Amino acid sequence: MPLIRRNATPAAASPPDAAKVLDALAGGTEQERWEAARAAPGIPGAAKALCDAARREASAGVREAMFTALTQIASPESVEQLVPLLRSDDAWLRTAALDALRAMKSLVGPYIPSLLHDANSDVRLLACELARDQPGKESAALLCELLETEQEPNVCASAVEVLAEIGDAEALPALARCEERFRGVSFLEFAIRITADRIRASSRKPRA
Amino acid sequence: MSFSEPKRYYVERRIAERMTATGALSFASYFARLRTDVDGEVEHFVNAFTVNETYFYREDHQLRCLTTNLLAERLAVKGPSAAIRIWSVPCSTGEEPYSIAIWLLENWPLVDRHEIEIVASDIDTAALERAREGLFGKRALMRLPTEIVASYFTPEGPDAWRILADLRDSVRFTQVNIVKPEETRPNGRFDVVFCRNVLIYFDDTSRRIAAENLYENLEPGGFICLGHTESMSRISPLFEVQRFADAIVYRRPPGEPHG
Repeated sequence: MPLIRRNATPAAASPPDAAKVLDALAGGTEQERWEAARAAPGIPGAAKALCDAARREASAGVREAMFTALTQIASPESVEQLVPLLRSDDAWLRTAALDALRAMKSLVGPYIPSLLHDANSDVRLLACELARDQPGKESAALLCELLETEQEPNVCASAVEVLAEIGDAEALPALARCEERFRGVSFLEFAIRITADRIRASSRKPRA
Repeated sequence: MSFSEPKRYYVERRIAERMTATGALSFASYFARLRTDVDGEVEHFVNAFTVNETYFYREDHQLRCLTTNLLAERLAVKGPSAAIRIWSVPCSTGEEPYSIAIWLLENWPLVDRHEIEIVASDIDTAALERAREGLFGKRALMRLPTEIVASYFTPEGPDAWRILADLRDSVRFTQVNIVKPEETRPNGRFDVVFCRNVLIYFDDTSRRIAAENLYENLEPGGFICLGHTESMSRISPLFEVQRFADAIVYRRPPGEPHG
């Protein structure tokens, strides 16, 4: 029979050396950076080293492994290191940081109010996405507050889209005032109308 | 099959998966597809509810793809007399790895020219023990032609068949949690990995870790076959989509200098 069975199993690798992992992230070969990224969770200081390395990493695969490691670490340190990446000029980095932060719902909540007031409109827009995943009504209230003053229609549109999912009747006045402020910005008027209709419809549904 | 009220969430989730897999935009549209059995949807629908009850030759279009395309592509890279390594993970109670073995013996004309190593892994030790025993009921064998059952199984009682010792002895079973690299790495690198209907049950982070582990367990240019409701493209950008006549599979790019 051509089917064969080999019982020999390669020996398991020894635990990673923390200093070597951090060194490899900073300046190893592509293979060494990949291995270091995969070994990084559990090593003190890894979140900062991973974010620093991700900024200059050229290999998409190694970057992916770095963000998987950051998601796996899921500590206050990793949130602190990931938040500044939302301001990166590199769209891939911004999106990867957003995805990683979305996987750390409970840790990222306290950062959302300040991110919604960030000077960078791209950051405010991404912060709306982070609010989508937060439990409770506080996020909807923060988004309504943003709608009262936000000057950038794309940021308002992002908040409106999230409110369509998490908002209730309490969001309707803020939506109406935002629509009034942006009278003539047709895509936003349309988005607000759809969201308000959806909220009204769900508010009318009898509760089970 | 019957599901009581506490199973409502389970049922809704399975239906949602099928709607996503078929691209149905509404339940009405999906229900119409199911009632008319478009593209064998009834079988896909039933399969979605019986993920822990697997059977021989399940999703055999991927097995056809294995012998029609995947092995030829691997041999083109490795050389005409190279050994082939195939991993079934998770292998549950053994139907998948034994199906691969039987399929190769029955359908791959080059089977006698190569050494073929099949490794089968699961996290569940009870399932692995049942897989090693190789005793199967009628339902597990329902897709196998009677002549295949006669060739590779011996009856043990009215509704039980045991797979031949030669086949049982040809598959190596190992316990593996696919989100733990220290457990996946010792299994080595494979030409083809079958990892069907497990990633859908993981959270996003675990899925990403598992994808990176599987990437490391593939030879550069090696293939991974997922379940019909799963898409590696939604989990990780590490793999390339490969479309063949019988199946869509994913490939570890041959030229990446990492992993």
